Amino acid sequence: MTGAIVDAGALFKVLYASMLAGVGVATAFSLAIYGTTRAAEERRVGRGGPAGAFAALAVVAILVSLGAAVYGVTLVVQK
Amino acid sequence: MGGSELVLVIVVVAALAFDVTNGFHDTANVVATAISTHALPPRLAIGGASLLNFVGAFVSLKVAATVGQGFVTGSAVTTTVVFCGLVGAIAWNLITWYFGLPSSSSHALIGGLVGSVIAARGFGQVSGSGLLGKLIVPAIVAPVVAFLVAGTAIVVIYRIVGRLRPGPVNRGFRTGQIASSALLALSHGTNDAQKTMGVITLALIAHGDVAAKGFHVPTWVVLSAASAIALGTFSGGWRIIRTMGTRIIKMDPAQGFAAQGAGAAVILAASSVGYPLSTTHVISGGIMGAGAAKRVSAVRWGLAGNIAVAWMLTLPLAAVFGGATYGVSSVFGSGALGPVLISAVLLALLAIVVIRRLQRPVAAVASP
Repeated sequence: MTGAIVDAGALFKVLYASMLAGVGVATAFSLAIYGTTRAAEERRVGRGGPAGAFAALAVVAILVSLGAAVYGVTLVVQK
Repeated sequence: MGGSELVLVIVVVAALAFDVTNGFHDTANVVATAISTHALPPRLAIGGASLLNFVGAFVSLKVAATVGQGFVTGSAVTTTVVFCGLVGAIAWNLITWYFGLPSSSSHALIGGLVGSVIAARGFGQVSGSGLLGKLIVPAIVAPVVAFLVAGTAIVVIYRIVGRLRPGPVNRGFRTGQIASSALLALSHGTNDAQKTMGVITLALIAHGDVAAKGFHVPTWVVLSAASAIALGTFSGGWRIIRTMGTRIIKMDPAQGFAAQGAGAAVILAASSVGYPLSTTHVISGGIMGAGAAKRVSAVRWGLAGNIAVAWMLTLPLAAVFGGATYGVSSVFGSGALGPVLISAVLLALLAIVVIRRLQRPVAAVASP
């Protein structure tokens, strides 16, 4: 009876989509901060190569974070 | 103006008043973590949330339709029933606001309406499956999911940035919190302003001003509900900001980001499958998850327990208040006298409660 009233598939979707989005964005944004901070440190000691690699990591991670946020807003608009 | 028109006007005013209380009661939850970690100054955070609440109210009308059609039978609803449900919800919101407890305005509204319908027409006019499937189960699941997501997120965050200097890390997460707060505020406006729209439209249908078929929400209802929730957000909420932002746990910016990110993720995921959620429930779960994953004892579980009790009591007690209000109103007949007298008493009580509560000092962290 309860199973017919409650949509278990929808509940499961909420669980995995939330976990994917919440942890995914947190991971991407943390990598952005990591890349930015490490790039600044490497630049300070004059190591251009690693600084560039960390800067690239930061840019990609920021783009992923922004993309996820925009996708989230799109979901709100379509709601 | 006839008696039924007068009751309709009172309903609209009461619904918008509820929307204002919803604003200062609920939306503060969205910005509490950003304020407590100093990601945003209080006035800017509240102003931004207010604006995004207003914008969010125009995004969709699906939640309004759910509130208007999902829980009670349309034929059971009269303007007096809607009025009494609103009074029940406002009463419960004021009680939880008085004690600084973040409970759900949405559940209070639905509870008040259900209680009023039961008092007027009996249990047969209430959709048990609608309440269970669309309200109660999501209300239990959502904060648990937010707790798990925020807990996992903060563990991952500390793994990645744990060995870096705290200065740049905190600055980075404060910046991230601006975006996560904005996302939460927008989704809150989408959800909560619509609940008031649903109730006003329900009253308009009962009065015969709007056709029941298709559940069309008039533009003036959308505009006034959006304005009311934005006004409420802008004018209050400091007490609950304090509870949410500092009294559950003391947060660092990374925890604030994880909690808000988890909250936004859960609300958006739930919205995509059509569940109307309480922002209060979700963000509270996220805050506790972000705190417990760092250190279980960091969460003030006693306070968290009080919040949980307030959650569980919201639906039944708002229903009791809504039903009792209908009982009192019906003593004065089916005309406008009951709602008019109840409105007068409610306004007097409201003035007393607000004056008494505002005389108590609020902690510096929450002061504008």
